[in-house]
Amino acid sequence: MTIPTPADTVSVPAFLDVAGAEKAFGAATVLGGVDLGVAQGEFVSLLGPSGCGKTTLLRIVAGLLGVDRGTVRLDGKDITALPPHRRDVGVVFQNYALFPHLTVAENVAFGLKAHRRGAAEIREAVKRFLDLVHLADFADRSVRALSGGQQQRVAVARALAVRPKLLLLDEPFSALDRKLREAMQIDLRRLLRELGTTSVFVTHDQEEALTMSDRIAVMNRGAIEQLDTPEAIYRRPATAFALEFVGLSSRLAGTALGTENGLVHVDTAFGRLVAPGNFVKGAPVLLAVRPERIKVDAPGDFALTARLRDAVFQGSKVQLHFDTRAGDQLMVETADLPQGVPTPGTEMKLGWAVADTLLYPAP
Amino acid sequence: MKPAAAPSPWRDPVVLLAVPALLYLVLLYALPLLWLLAKSFVGADGLTLRPYVDFFADPFNWRVVWNTLGIALWVTLVCLVIGYPAAFALARAGAALQIAMLVAIILPLSVGVVVKSFAWQIVLRRDGVISQFLVGIGLWDEPQRLLFTETGLVLGAANIFLPFMILPIYSVVKLIDPRLLEAGATLGAAPLYRFVKIMLPLTLPGVVSGIAFVFSMSVSMYVIPSLLIGDRFQTLSTLTGRSFLFMRNEQLGSTTAVILLALAIGVVVGSSWLARRLGSSA
Repeated sequence: MTIPTPADTVSVPAFLDVAGAEKAFGAATVLGGVDLGVAQGEFVSLLGPSGCGKTTLLRIVAGLLGVDRGTVRLDGKDITALPPHRRDVGVVFQNYALFPHLTVAENVAFGLKAHRRGAAEIREAVKRFLDLVHLADFADRSVRALSGGQQQRVAVARALAVRPKLLLLDEPFSALDRKLREAMQIDLRRLLRELGTTSVFVTHDQEEALTMSDRIAVMNRGAIEQLDTPEAIYRRPATAFALEFVGLSSRLAGTALGTENGLVHVDTAFGRLVAPGNFVKGAPVLLAVRPERIKVDAPGDFALTARLRDAVFQGSKVQLHFDTRAGDQLMVETADLPQGVPTPGTEMKLGWAVADTLLYPAP
Repeated sequence: MKPAAAPSPWRDPVVLLAVPALLYLVLLYALPLLWLLAKSFVGADGLTLRPYVDFFADPFNWRVVWNTLGIALWVTLVCLVIGYPAAFALARAGAALQIAMLVAIILPLSVGVVVKSFAWQIVLRRDGVISQFLVGIGLWDEPQRLLFTETGLVLGAANIFLPFMILPIYSVVKLIDPRLLEAGATLGAAPLYRFVKIMLPLTLPGVVSGIAFVFSMSVSMYVIPSLLIGDRFQTLSTLTGRSFLFMRNEQLGSTTAVILLALAIGVVVGSSWLARRLGSSA
């Protein structure tokens, strides 16, 4: 719609560039200086528990909420002060917010009419986007007669029909049942990739974020703790919060005994363990391993012995939980149990590679 | 007025709960009304339309009909213009303010119409508040009397019927998801466009029922015009009253009552039909 001037583009690396966004409601700080860069065509998830500020950040980008401090730039243009209807930012709301007095086609046409597009162009765009979300046969239905999944698709078609520069999605799957949700995640991701739509997706569901995202921003208490690819976040969580929020883990509290050649020796309830890192002697630490990296009875770099408390059969894999000190958690996921699922009480030897060991300051 | 077209009461016994109300209405209201209505169609020698022919042959009576409709339309319009924004403010106000506003709207209903009309007499006098204020700000050169004028009647009646416009609109606005306006904004719609294309159609059912309330009440008001404008200005209601009370002409009274009833039913049925139509597309 607007051609960015060279002066604008030179200094701006990211397509969507949020810099130093701060927001407080009364005395409560909801966002404490958040930076977020999203490349053109990228799909980025804001992942975090409720109250972490992810929805606030989304509403600020949409222009539905002002910032106390900081800037929002989109496609090289400072949009911080623009009202929502002049931002070119589409939103799919959590409850879809479909216009109940309009039909499916009229909902999709709403934005195009507001943009004063020609009748022929509107008709064509409505047809195209209803086709894309497989709702062509429902064009003249009332939106109130649709199922949750269909309503969600109308909301997506409505937001995309005006071809926004950026699409924001606020937990759009949370009202759908699990099976439908998984199918629609894949559908939506494919659609957005085909259209090349830059998207920011708010969710508290880590599986959803892992499935759909190019990158995930893990948010906690009004700050982004880690912004990286799903794989990097899973394999190398930057903070103890990211570790806990994304995926399962075995976690042992301990005390650093000193650092030698980039390896920290840690005293834990299961004896002395080693992890890559750098901590001074006496520092309280949290040592963690992803459950599928732990081998049973096939020791890696080192091994410990633990007593099985519970074995949960999950089809393709078995989850083993072991007795630990209060606050610790020791669990293993394995598909490799030649003797079958062991009975609780069995003493088992566990081992893993030093490189798979994660180490954080005690939270 | 007619019972709602419901699915067979034998399939849904809850509908039978309407029976006491129905009996009450039929025995104490509908039957006497029919008796009254019948009187206007019965002449000395059987059934006749004579009273109606006579009524509409007199130009004075046409004035009365136009007076009635004109005042009712003005009162409804004033209530709508003042009540629509007030209903929004009420729906979006915080909890404490909302209760205060609701009390301010509903409590005056417990003050009788006679008391309120006398209060308006004081306000509308030549030395009343309105006159003094308008002279004070220089809009009027000298004090004028609003009492016993149509303007005064509209002002007073609109005040008394305003709650019946605000409350139905408020109950509709309250149910509208505020995110619909946000959705409109993110689709590129400017504030006015959002109001016209989203808020207005969604509030129309409330507007229609508010109009039906206020119009049917102001088309049939009797005490308020009697006190605020007097005999100089006749409406169908005051004429009905005069026919029964002073002229002892029961047939004329029944005739005007039937005409008034027809007008009121026309508006109520028409507006509820409109509301259902808007409601089904809304």
